[in-house]
Amino acid sequence: MGASLQNLVAGMDPYFLQIIVNIGIAIILALGLNIITGLTGQLSLGHAAFMSIGAFVGALLTIKTGLPFSLNLILAGSITALVGAMIGYPILRLTGDYLAICTLGFAEIVKVVFLNLDITNKALGLSVPPAHSSIPMPIMVWICAILAIVAVTFLQNSRFGRALKAIRGDEIAAESMGINLARYKISSFALGTFFAGIGGALYAHFLGYINPSDFSFLKSVDILSMIVLGGLGSVPGAVIGASVLAAAPEFLRFMSQYRMLVYGALLVFLMVFRPNGLLGGVNFVDLVLRKLGKKPQLAVRNGKKGE
Amino acid sequence: MKKVTALFLAGMLAFGAAGCKKKEGGEAAPKAGGDTVKIGFLGALTGDVAMFGKPTLEGMKMAADEINAAGGINGKKIEIVEADNRGDKQEGASVTQKLISRDNVVAIVGDPTTGITKVAAPIAQKAGVVLLSAGATGPGVVENGDFIFRDTLLDSIAIPACIDFFATEMKYKKVAIVTSDNNDYSVGLSQTFRDAAKGKGIQIVADEKIKDGDKDFSAQITNIKAKKPDVILYSGYYTEGALIMKEARKQGLKVNMFGGDGLFSPKLIELGGDAVEGTMSALGFSPEQATPVTAKFIEAFKKKFNNAEPGLFDAQGYDAIMLLADAMKRANSIDPKLFKVSLAATKGFEGVSGTISMQASREPIKSPLALLEVKGGKFVLKKKVPVKMD
Repeated sequence: MGASLQNLVAGMDPYFLQIIVNIGIAIILALGLNIITGLTGQLSLGHAAFMSIGAFVGALLTIKTGLPFSLNLILAGSITALVGAMIGYPILRLTGDYLAICTLGFAEIVKVVFLNLDITNKALGLSVPPAHSSIPMPIMVWICAILAIVAVTFLQNSRFGRALKAIRGDEIAAESMGINLARYKISSFALGTFFAGIGGALYAHFLGYINPSDFSFLKSVDILSMIVLGGLGSVPGAVIGASVLAAAPEFLRFMSQYRMLVYGALLVFLMVFRPNGLLGGVNFVDLVLRKLGKKPQLAVRNGKKGE
Repeated sequence: MKKVTALFLAGMLAFGAAGCKKKEGGEAAPKAGGDTVKIGFLGALTGDVAMFGKPTLEGMKMAADEINAAGGINGKKIEIVEADNRGDKQEGASVTQKLISRDNVVAIVGDPTTGITKVAAPIAQKAGVVLLSAGATGPGVVENGDFIFRDTLLDSIAIPACIDFFATEMKYKKVAIVTSDNNDYSVGLSQTFRDAAKGKGIQIVADEKIKDGDKDFSAQITNIKAKKPDVILYSGYYTEGALIMKEARKQGLKVNMFGGDGLFSPKLIELGGDAVEGTMSALGFSPEQATPVTAKFIEAFKKKFNNAEPGLFDAQGYDAIMLLADAMKRANSIDPKLFKVSLAATKGFEGVSGTISMQASREPIKSPLALLEVKGGKFVLKKKVPVKMD
């Protein structure tokens, strides 16, 4: 199967593939942050730092061990999630701006640690050998992206997802309904950082070279923009936001040096006309169910208590 | 509102799809066809590292204009295809793919930074397109394969030659090393300092760390002053270099600083003033006692850019195009598979950034090396240091 997939990818335009892969990785990262910030309502400005943990763990696993790439990805994600949970434990008592600043500080710490560790080659960065896998990278990225989309879609309609939304709505009310705030917040943080870790490992293997300075605060803001643009808490929103923003620099290339100006204007324009994001509050499963007549239509539902 | 969303999405998708279609259908011309030779520029024109990308592109364009005015390469004009990568690695990879698969370039010049060159090199190698980096100094670039070159003098060649000069002629015995540890160029260069010093029996009395963007270096200078070194070996860029020397002079530390080409900028003198008098930097060429080729380049550059002095990146960008053109002429072909062989065989090429010979490793050597010193508010030649070939 590996060989035929290799042929399939080899027959495609590499530039197009490159953009497609950028989009796929952005989707995974955005979905992860969407769990933390979109669903649970905890503002994190350190998503790129978790991405870098996944990237370096994944890269080191490939360099030091012969682990198959799929296992490598899971391990990179899990270790990142573990760090996420450990970090989440003390700081998730904070809310809003305080939490945001804590995650920001954490991101700086991660960067400085990677800049000083011998095993990550300090500021020189790591060259990452090709992944131990017969499945070509673009397909691997998209398998992960689709799995992530499916997983988060189901998650947000599950009991767990509803608990997270309750926390987003009102923490005190949620707690009085019997939701263990600390446990749910940490779980959501761990889950979100798990996706960041996987996204990071894919990024490292796709580009073939990583450096601690790639995962700066601006990268975190990029990911945050994706989910805000797409609509906080919405899976299709995160997917669209990630696709638009990951592809924009390339699609706007014909404007040469003005493209980042247009990119910025695009963001402002969207936020003014769609303050909730492109697909804010849109739930895919709900939409499908409604179309199939399994759930009451929108007009009826609006009469009741909103989602 | 739903309708608006749907419309917008549909529009977005259509835009995206149209973008793909148009590009997929377009320009499937064979690489060697047409009457132009396309050479891609990979580098940042906007963002933090645009200060390296812009001059490289200026130099490239100057070289291309000169070659085209003289009739081009075997009758074919050089066309430079430029695309900005903002200094972002992911975008660097996309741009490289775009230059190769959309614009059908035969060679790429860039990226001026090591990080993006490392991302781009495997892509170019796999596609069989020559990549000649004008600026990447770090290790792990040409190791990517036989299509990958650079025209920047490597610190691991230049620095030992200078340290040798310090040990034998200046009789330096004790050195202090200063590294900017969030700068990959600096971390790599400091390691070269350490290895070179060890080889010459020079004692490293202090090994201080700073960060790019730091403003206060009093702690580091206090430590260095206590150890009484003969020279400060600093591996970072000129901004921090100038501030370090200001602090050193403030504390009454009399020794000078030596650094790589990261120190060579008029900005160093602008920022440092009197404090950087005596600061040394090693380059492949000297603005003073210029060779005829270099003198001609400096004159042409001044004419074109309102009397501005050309910098190192202008010169290296210019040389990159000249080297490629020279290789294509000698190979009598613009097929990367053929002219990469003649490029690798370049010996004693009179470039404006020095006399360039390619080693077997596809790393350039520029000999003699120019050890420059700041004197009277400008860089002057202190010593021409010969470099050994392998």
